[in-house]
Amino acid sequence: VSVVRANGVDHHVQEMGPAGTPTVVCVHGIGTASLASFYFTVAKPLADTGLRVVMYDLRGHGRTERPPTGYTLDDYVDDLAGLLDQVAGCEAVYLLGNSFGGTVAFSFAARRPGRVAGIAVIESEPAAPEWATKMAANLERAATELARGEALAWITVRYGRRTAKLAKAAARMLDSTTLVRDIPASAVPARDRLSALRCPVLAVYGADSDRAAVR
Amino acid sequence: VNEAAVNEETVLAEITGMLREVLDGYLDGSDVAGIEVTMETRFHEDLEMESIDLVALGSRLSERYGEWVNFAEFIAGLDLDEIIDLTVGRLVGYVVAAQRTATVTA
Repeated sequence: VSVVRANGVDHHVQEMGPAGTPTVVCVHGIGTASLASFYFTVAKPLADTGLRVVMYDLRGHGRTERPPTGYTLDDYVDDLAGLLDQVAGCEAVYLLGNSFGGTVAFSFAARRPGRVAGIAVIESEPAAPEWATKMAANLERAATELARGEALAWITVRYGRRTAKLAKAAARMLDSTTLVRDIPASAVPARDRLSALRCPVLAVYGADSDRAAVR
Repeated sequence: VNEAAVNEETVLAEITGMLREVLDGYLDGSDVAGIEVTMETRFHEDLEMESIDLVALGSRLSERYGEWVNFAEFIAGLDLDEIIDLTVGRLVGYVVAAQRTATVTA
């Protein structure tokens, strides 16, 4: 069965690779993403190296439940904590996070350092006041623009019909939940909790990343 | 594995049933039950399936046919264009072949 109830929400969970080996838990980004971001990309190569790969759809995304409220970073961290308690063999895991998924991974590690053996993130950063400001602007813009037809028409021309359909689904999610308000209002982890982390951290950024200039 | 199951028509019918389950309640304003699924039907273009719907279909395939039918393995052997143009027929062919392997090995 690939449905796991964690923190009061039914989560869609998928696994690849051999049981009883080091476990990598993949956390995807918000918006148009789902566990498929990993399933069709890095999950199989990771499983082929002998790792067990656990993927799940974040609340509001993919085939996981979409409650109307409860979309702060802490809600997502509680979901992850609940999942790791429910899924066997997740006492200490490697977290692989894309974008917001990496932000969840950092917050989880700050809260439960003993449960995290290592962190790898793609285009991501820990939550901080500047992060909240940026997220507020990006989410606000996405919600406003996607509610208008022109943006979807532009996405269709630029990226094709299927991407436009994903964007439309994301617009519905933003419209029917408190995510746009909740994410920027999230509590951010204390800096000393993050700097106290002793597990290895790998962060990967593309050349055009807005984070590349910061480093 | 019985001989009848290792048959394209049977597998097509079973996969069609799984597609209805997977897409029920997810397909925008369409009547899933009314869609005719053939060997030529394309997952993306014709059924408008998203990648997460394919993952859900993959789960049902392994529940029904066992570990020999490994959807992730099947997809990993395709390039992006092939995944986008993937037809029901190609998946049926894979399932039939995988079941034959399972039968021979068992």
